Amino acid sequence: MRTDRLAVVAGYVAGFALLFLIWHLAATLLVKSVLFPPPLPVLERAIVLIEDNILQEQIVASMRRILQGFLIGSAIGIPIGLAIGSFRIVRWLLEPWTEFFRFIPAVAMITVAVIWFGIGEESKVFLIAYTTVFVVIISTAAGVGAVGRDKIRAAQCLGASRLQVFALVALPATVPYILTGMRLAMANAFVTIVAAELVASNDGLGKLLWDARLFMQIEDIFVALVALGLLGFATDRVFRLLIRAFAGRFNATV
Amino acid sequence: MALVTLEGVGKTYRGRTGAWEAVRDFTLDLAEGEFFCLLGTSGCGKTTVLNMVAGFEQPTAGRILLDGRPVDRPGADRGVVFQGHDSLYDWLTALDNIAFGLRLRGMGRGERRAKAEHYLKMVGLTGQGAKHPSELSGGMKQRIQIARALANDPRILLMDEPFGALDAMTRAVLQGELSRIWAETRKTVLFITHDIEEAVALATRVGVMKRGPGGTLKAVIPIDLPFPRERTSDAFMAAFREVHALIHDEIHGAH
Repeated sequence: MRTDRLAVVAGYVAGFALLFLIWHLAATLLVKSVLFPPPLPVLERAIVLIEDNILQEQIVASMRRILQGFLIGSAIGIPIGLAIGSFRIVRWLLEPWTEFFRFIPAVAMITVAVIWFGIGEESKVFLIAYTTVFVVIISTAAGVGAVGRDKIRAAQCLGASRLQVFALVALPATVPYILTGMRLAMANAFVTIVAAELVASNDGLGKLLWDARLFMQIEDIFVALVALGLLGFATDRVFRLLIRAFAGRFNATV
Repeated sequence: MALVTLEGVGKTYRGRTGAWEAVRDFTLDLAEGEFFCLLGTSGCGKTTVLNMVAGFEQPTAGRILLDGRPVDRPGADRGVVFQGHDSLYDWLTALDNIAFGLRLRGMGRGERRAKAEHYLKMVGLTGQGAKHPSELSGGMKQRIQIARALANDPRILLMDEPFGALDAMTRAVLQGELSRIWAETRKTVLFITHDIEEAVALATRVGVMKRGPGGTLKAVIPIDLPFPRERTSDAFMAAFREVHALIHDEIHGAH
């Protein structure tokens, strides 16, 4: 177990090292342009931005919006998904909604969001919640539908009521699907927040990208890109751990 | 009075391709404390019979009584052991799986733990209670299923080819264990199988089914051999041959 985890971490470190090495070689040997800086000057710039507390502020601004919108979207999406998966009437009523809205990307909703909520926090949180909710609904509903027939039958002939079948069998069996949906939604949230902050924002990583483009600060652009990648990577790891924990062996409840 | 009564039970499925009669005119009384093996070829409707007794499916003809009352839905008075082990709850430990029915009834944590431990021991898995189903072998999972059903203290245990997916060695071991558990608890068992040797080794009575469609009971043979049964004994062989002769016609022609 322990050596496994150590090997995984070592793999990550080596993987990232290789990525930065290729980047370095490509920038110094292949491209040789001021428009494609190697990793070292980017790292130096990142340190400056961190010392001036600029990078942290943008990260916090973006991540706070992502987290708020993501939690709101999940809190709305999970119960709706459970209802769609459990009751045919709800499915008939709400499936057209989800099938309609999920093809209107959050990026297309930026204009409406800004008109409705201004360029402040509300519009960003709304967009993240919007992009989260449909993915979560769909995977939650799919999870309810995928609960094995024998699992439900076994509970019935152990004396479970309909409510008990739902709460003690369908719900826990669906948790991995819910988490998978949330994981996908998180990736969407990153896309959406950058787009929203590029278009209309006073801070955040998207704003950092936009300003860097305006003032041709190439290193700043790369600092923002690397920050996004690392943040996304870290968040996704957390989700994978959660899914593993719920999908089987580590969850003890007597 | 019989514990379970099936009176002229029939089941016909209606689909787009027409009607399919799975079971026809099935009549049987199960006595308290007996181990009844329902033996038949694949597609003879034996699992349908079990599903109807369990209440998972409704008969389209006849009726099923438990303690004189009609069966119309699944209930805690009929414990089921399923063929596959998908029925176990992956997110619970082995012990919590066994205690699941007790938890549904609102039994206190300490009491249900003690009871679950008792049944864990009965199925020979003492010390394995903290493991999750994904950490257990196929045979162990079936033991957990048996313990889970028994812990709920049902009136009858319904077993749908519970050892069908196991390798021959594990199957023989579990048959022996089940026989011992039955002798300890004297729980009434309805056991579905297509394995003649398994039926003769376990049952106090074997019911042989005609092949489907419209499967029905062809004959019921009492197996009056002492437990534990000696599979190489002459008496066992004789019982095996008797059952084999009955099912022979059903096997040849079933394909």
